[in-house]
Amino acid sequence: MMFNKQYYPLILGMSLIVLFVILVIPLGGTSIMESIVSLAAIGVVIWLGQQFLLKTKMFLVQIESLKLDYKEQRDKASQCSKDAKDSKLQVKLLQRQKRNTEAIVYSISEAVIVTDANEHLLMANEAAGRLFGFDLKKSVYKPLDELIGKKELISLIVKTRNSRARHVKHELQFESEDNIYTYNCIISCIYDENNEVCGAIAVLHDMTKEKEISQMKNDFVSHVSHELKTPLASITAYSEMLVDGEAADEKMREEFYSIIQTQAQRLNCLIEDILNVSRIESGMIKINKEPVSTALLIHDAVQMIKSHAAEKGVTIEEQTAIVFDQVNADKEMISQVIINLLSNAVKYTHKGGKITVNSEIDESEDVVRVSITDTGVGIPPENLPHIFEKFYRVKKNAGIAKGTGLGLNLVKQIVEKVHQGRVFVRSQVGKGSCFGFELPLIVAEETVESDLVIRSK
Amino acid sequence: METRKVLVADDEIHIVQVVAMKLRNNGFEVITADNGIDAYDRCCVEKPDIVVTDYQMPGMTGIELVEKLRSTEGFEDIPVIILTARGFAIEQDQQEDLNIAEYLSKPFSPKELLSHVENILKSSAVS
Repeated sequence: MMFNKQYYPLILGMSLIVLFVILVIPLGGTSIMESIVSLAAIGVVIWLGQQFLLKTKMFLVQIESLKLDYKEQRDKASQCSKDAKDSKLQVKLLQRQKRNTEAIVYSISEAVIVTDANEHLLMANEAAGRLFGFDLKKSVYKPLDELIGKKELISLIVKTRNSRARHVKHELQFESEDNIYTYNCIISCIYDENNEVCGAIAVLHDMTKEKEISQMKNDFVSHVSHELKTPLASITAYSEMLVDGEAADEKMREEFYSIIQTQAQRLNCLIEDILNVSRIESGMIKINKEPVSTALLIHDAVQMIKSHAAEKGVTIEEQTAIVFDQVNADKEMISQVIINLLSNAVKYTHKGGKITVNSEIDESEDVVRVSITDTGVGIPPENLPHIFEKFYRVKKNAGIAKGTGLGLNLVKQIVEKVHQGRVFVRSQVGKGSCFGFELPLIVAEETVESDLVIRSK
Repeated sequence: METRKVLVADDEIHIVQVVAMKLRNNGFEVITADNGIDAYDRCCVEKPDIVVTDYQMPGMTGIELVEKLRSTEGFEDIPVIILTARGFAIEQDQQEDLNIAEYLSKPFSPKELLSHVENILKSSAVS
């Protein structure tokens, strides 16, 4: 049996006392033994002292440990209180962030829908509410089925979420009473911290206008290509025939040259028309406005067209009595307007027909009104609203005469965009058409100013 | 050798004239039309061996003319060459569905057109 070292002095002391009792007392050796007993007693006292010191030390250590624990607990309590404060602050911060996020989502012009993993609405903006016709405040956490009539969109959201794709793009069409709208729809998955899909966000961008513009661009390119290639085809073919000596005689060769020349001019006119429309649209055209008499411009234009009309058996009558500077206009441009309208009237009027050109002043509206009335084929009512559109041609009448579909658009651009006037058209199929325009009259002060400018020049 | 008959349809009179002249100079009999409806009627009467038509014509387009011919007895297999000044070509599927033999973009070479007409008629005679 082993004893702990701390008990050695006690064992020694006790052993000496026992030895004294067994051996020395019977032999009578009292004084020596007394000393030994004294020593043993001292040893015991020392041991007891040692034990006391040891216990005291342990007690002090325990107190120190308790002190540390208390400090730790106090720190922890303080930390908890701080944490509680931080949490409150964080909640406030999160609420603010949520409000900011909502404000951002609401301000997006595209329709935005955010769903959870079960297709319940988490967030949407006004544009989405308008598009799908639901009330934002009453719709949160409701199933999409109840809110969105467009089932195709819901199935796309489900499909995207199941596929875990980051972004998927779709084109969706929405029909309303009066139009079909095309939306570009981007659906993105939302991932949680474990990279699991926990919802989806759909952004729908209305691209109806863009589609229309794109279609118009394609139509424009197609029209321009067709219009440019047609005269070019004649030029190429007749040139080849000349080069290959296919023309039988000099007369035929001259005819070929003439066709080439006419087609080249046609090409040039077309390019000029395209450029003029483009220049006016972009505001890049040089405009020289001055006081002009429309009556004089009409007279000049009629003289220019008259022989061509006579060849076709069409008569032109002028009804323009007043000759004075009525409008502040670009002479060349307004001449072009009158020539375009007159040549159209000649084109679509049969032999024996009549064209009447009239100009009158409407003092109640302060305008001069020019109208060109023919007894031609007329335009069906369904075509009239489009008649001034670029490259628009009345299919029914396209076979009667050649045209680029730019002439009337140019008329509209010059009258309305450059001169702040107005174009108009009335027509009856089989009876004829009346095309015309109004230009604002020069007011008295304006005339004086113009006179001064002219004199000072 | 039997003279082959070609119908040329285009609303551009100069194109009709130049194509007709090139073909006539090379031994073909040519009939002309300046719109799709007239072209169809002339086809029914004249029964040409091949049709050369513009794509864009008033009344009836070149494609509509071919569609009508394909559904008319006797013209189900008539070879057709389409001339076009359009910016975009017709769909390949449509070309195959309507059995359009050749599709020439304007401006074209009359020589090239003549060679297509000759080759198509040769191959149709063999088959």
